[in-house]
Amino acid sequence: MNLTGTRAAPKSSAAGEQIAKPVDRFREYRRMWATFRRSYSSMAGLVIVSIFLIISAIGPWIVPFPEDALGSIHLERKLEPPSATHWFGTDEVGMDIYTRVVIGARTTLYIGLTITGLAMLIGVPLGLLAGVGNTWLRESIMRVTDIFLSIPGLILAIAIVGALGPGILNAMIALSLVWWPGYVRLVQSKALSLRNETYVEAARSIGASNFRIIFMHILPNCMSPIVVKASMDMGMAILGAASLGFLGLGAQPPYPEWGAMISIGKNYLPDWWWYSLFPGLAIYFTVLGFNLLGDGLRDMLDPKQRS
Amino acid sequence: MGRLIARRLVFMIFMLVGLMAIVFAISNIAPGDPARLAAGPDATNEMVEKIRQERGLDKPIVTRFVVYLGNLTQGNFGVSLHTKRDVASDLARYFPATLELVLYAIGFAVLVGVPLGMLGAVFQNKWPDHWIRFVAVSGVALPMFWLGLMLQWYLSLELDLFPLGGRLGIMTPRPETITGLLTVDSLLTGDIRAFREAVWHLVLPSLALSLPALASIIRVNRAEMLETLNKDYILNARAQGIGAFRIVTAYALKNAILPTLAMIGLRFGWMLGGTVLVESVFDFPGVGLYATKAAVSSDFDPIVAVTLVLGACFMVVNLIIDLLYALLDPRVRSQI
Amino acid sequence: MKVSRRIATTLFAGAALMAGSFMALPSQQALAAEQVDDKLYMVIAGRQPVSHLDPALKYDLAVRMMQQQLYDALVKYEGNPSEIKPWLAESWTTSEDGLTWTFTLAKNAKFHDGSPVNADAVIYSFKRTMAINEGPAWMLEGFVEADNIKALDEHTVEFKLNKPYAAFLSFLPWWYVLNPDVVEANTKDGDMGKGYLLENAAGSGPYTLERFEQGTAYVLKRNDDYWKGFPYDNDRMGGVIYRLMRESAAQRAALLKGEADIVTGLSVEERQAVEKREEIQTTSLPALTSFGLKMNTTKGITADVNIRKALAYAYDYDSFLQIMNGEAKLQTSPFTDAVKGMVPVGSMPTRDIEKAKEYLAKTDHPDGGFEIDYVYVEGFELERQMGLSMIDAFKDINVTVNMIPQTWPNMVALGSKPDTSPDLLAIFTTPVSTDPDAIAIQYHPSSHGKYYASHFLDDPDLNKMIEDARAETDWEKRVPIYAEIQQKIVDLQPEIFGMMRNRGMAHRTWVKGYEDSPIRMGGEIDFYPVHLDPNS
Repeated sequence: MNLTGTRAAPKSSAAGEQIAKPVDRFREYRRMWATFRRSYSSMAGLVIVSIFLIISAIGPWIVPFPEDALGSIHLERKLEPPSATHWFGTDEVGMDIYTRVVIGARTTLYIGLTITGLAMLIGVPLGLLAGVGNTWLRESIMRVTDIFLSIPGLILAIAIVGALGPGILNAMIALSLVWWPGYVRLVQSKALSLRNETYVEAARSIGASNFRIIFMHILPNCMSPIVVKASMDMGMAILGAASLGFLGLGAQPPYPEWGAMISIGKNYLPDWWWYSLFPGLAIYFTVLGFNLLGDGLRDMLDPKQRS
Repeated sequence: MGRLIARRLVFMIFMLVGLMAIVFAISNIAPGDPARLAAGPDATNEMVEKIRQERGLDKPIVTRFVVYLGNLTQGNFGVSLHTKRDVASDLARYFPATLELVLYAIGFAVLVGVPLGMLGAVFQNKWPDHWIRFVAVSGVALPMFWLGLMLQWYLSLELDLFPLGGRLGIMTPRPETITGLLTVDSLLTGDIRAFREAVWHLVLPSLALSLPALASIIRVNRAEMLETLNKDYILNARAQGIGAFRIVTAYALKNAILPTLAMIGLRFGWMLGGTVLVESVFDFPGVGLYATKAAVSSDFDPIVAVTLVLGACFMVVNLIIDLLYALLDPRVRSQI
Repeated sequence: MKVSRRIATTLFAGAALMAGSFMALPSQQALAAEQVDDKLYMVIAGRQPVSHLDPALKYDLAVRMMQQQLYDALVKYEGNPSEIKPWLAESWTTSEDGLTWTFTLAKNAKFHDGSPVNADAVIYSFKRTMAINEGPAWMLEGFVEADNIKALDEHTVEFKLNKPYAAFLSFLPWWYVLNPDVVEANTKDGDMGKGYLLENAAGSGPYTLERFEQGTAYVLKRNDDYWKGFPYDNDRMGGVIYRLMRESAAQRAALLKGEADIVTGLSVEERQAVEKREEIQTTSLPALTSFGLKMNTTKGITADVNIRKALAYAYDYDSFLQIMNGEAKLQTSPFTDAVKGMVPVGSMPTRDIEKAKEYLAKTDHPDGGFEIDYVYVEGFELERQMGLSMIDAFKDINVTVNMIPQTWPNMVALGSKPDTSPDLLAIFTTPVSTDPDAIAIQYHPSSHGKYYASHFLDDPDLNKMIEDARAETDWEKRVPIYAEIQQKIVDLQPEIFGMMRNRGMAHRTWVKGYEDSPIRMGGEIDFYPVHLDPNS
């Protein structure tokens, strides 16, 4: 195939259409963006996620007490209520909560990306294999997937973290291990439906290898649903990690993590409400942002599933 | 249909054995020494060894797995190192509490979610709709444990409307155990006071637990109702003088059943997992708390048993939902 | 649009009906304590479940708290400082060589079923615990054989020790006496009543077990016929309910709301917050518990005593006091203040960066630049805060701290082997005896493998002193040896000696008679003298 053909997934491999394609695609993108922009909630999601990403990027440079995120303690000012100096108050060892919430965005982004990333890394290849492989391979992959899907995720994650020991890394491993089956299901069903499409059949008939078919035809066409699911999953993964943090199985101090902050802050409710309120709000808005963005992306990329 | 159920059930057994193998393997990565833990902090090394041998903890993992499977076929789930009791009797004590909590949460999500979703559709893009959509998007974004703490603080302590936690007042006489579900048992034994109290204790935890499911149910029902409202037959029905109440019950509700069922199936696993969080906030003595305790104390037998029971529960619920689907939707039925 | 409105009204009505059915539930009258037939049941809200009640199995604060109410032992710890008081044993004598102990039992002592507590019951109970060989069995292991406990008559029991054991008496308060008839009647398949005693009691204590609802509440009924009577005059006291509440916010709420009369396990902040209320009182008492950071003396960077000294001098001890809002006292010896024979050690390190650097200069890392692992129990707030303060303090000598939270089992396992024992391990220890041997033995190789000996200290001189001191029965002769032992331990610096934190609890003002005793663990209450006085 020529260079144009490798760029993206051709919906049809008829050679005559290739010249017109770039224009079509541009128009397609414009239409998608218009769909997206029309919805307030999608835009709100985009804005929230953008703010979140910016904060994650420049966090350490905009906070008043950057050293507080690395465990610098000031016992003389512990548990102070919000004030002009400490916008969100201070915690039980005198660290500035505003600083920790802002820098916690990095940790959260890192958690979310790692969990969804690992889950995709495990799930997508397995899903592809199950989708295009022979019956035996498909059955064995899907049955293992079913087993993992048959147990409530949080319970399995707790069992894993309980065994490995608490800590952010272990929490992420545990959550990735309970997250990947969703991707297998998604990709496998998509791949199954695609593999009998005409153009895949055509590619196969001209002797394209399985490997080539997967990467040239099937994977690109699975991208939209994967992106939508990943955006939704970012939010869920953040919630999941926060839940493990709440149970005391989350992050390792002194690095700020919202779930762990709530877990400690809950002991200080309600007299020292600011301690758990602000990390709680941060989780809420971030998850909300990713969910709204995910909804918007779905409406945009996958109009058939629109609700 | 009967053969389908049989096949699914046989398949479930294989899945459960696989699940056990996974959990068994996971629990064994732990560096923790359960025998030493069971013996207590001051125990001598000989005392630790004695417990290790008694419990067979010195055997290789494969041997222990086979022994465990063998015991399981005789209904023996092993013994908890922590509570020193049969895991089976522990589960019999804690599982009904969790089941009751989850059932009430589902009930709440359906009873509130379906009408709210429909209301949203009827008022599309007006203020009730905005609020309802706000609930729907917030529901999945709010940390459940956080909501629980807030509800507990405001409704229970500040307004004194609900108890802080537990399943019944401490000194309230317990109804005789029949099913283990307090609200059912109290009704069966005609103990109205216990029934009212048990329900009253369930309100806050089930509210907190139901939120994600509630949100999903609102969403699907709103979408479904929007579609229904735009259908010709609704206008037709109205034109024929059929009342609003009939329209809702006869057409809209019927359409709401399938997507709601699907959502319950989808959310059920997370709800079972969520009990861990909610039970901890409301001191609800259920299987979630038991599992957490077991996980952080390297108590193998209970961990395996809990995942097994919850896994089985999850599979059964999904089987039931699939069957209901088949019963209610002729299109699906023909596919099976 | 009319259709829509009608549909909306219908739906609204439906939703309101649903919501209403949930709301229209009884509202609770604010009961200060639970009342049953005009009797008052005191409610204690605590966090730790009572895993079982069997006196021969593993004990923790919740288990011991319940056992102390249901059972009696030969002697009992009471008061501040904790002293051994005669209980089932009215009096006792020791032979010259310290090997024979003879106890005379109270004649009026009786079990809950009315049968007398006699010498046979005492012997049966000791033998049972030794045979099961769990729980308190370690306390007498190697010193007393089951066959050497004999009944001289109905009310006299004689113990013959293998070798003199100074701390012998100080362990007996944890050997509870069971009713042999009840245990035997409930023995299944030769389990010595283990199955039955998990959730049932067979004792003679001031309370009887009314209900054991695992994971929720444990209800004790006052034994109005208690053979020893009660130290207060209040017939309305009906019993005690130990109610589990896992979140401290809920605990405090329960206390303020009047759903709980006593709340244990609150942090200093929380205690000081509820204290402001008129109807709440708090207590605060330095406990026998020590908080220290054990260092692995056999492996890794802390194997070098100069590194250990450097860390000990770099540590910011004042942060202990600040974190505890002043409700703590720094240790001046490896022995806490409540331990008999404790003497302050002059050379105990305090924060002194110059000295820390001097010691560091003697090591392979004269300028620091290394990392140390600090392992602590996940969820243990105080230990986490100590870690944070350590990060700050060790920066001054260019040492990086790696905080590693672990679950309790994993931590115990790590600390049980010299190869895996971490550089620094945070340990709270509450000895079960006020005898100095209970602390000294923690620095003896016989403790290796237990979590509090994760330092794996093995010093021949120290070992000999510890062995000598425990075999000596003359208290006057033991005192100087223990002074030397304390000095020696400080010299070896197997840990950064920390603080004795005050532990306390909050209760409503109508709770009377409460007395803390340092030997009790944090959150462990002896209900015997406690009662409710609603008229105050």
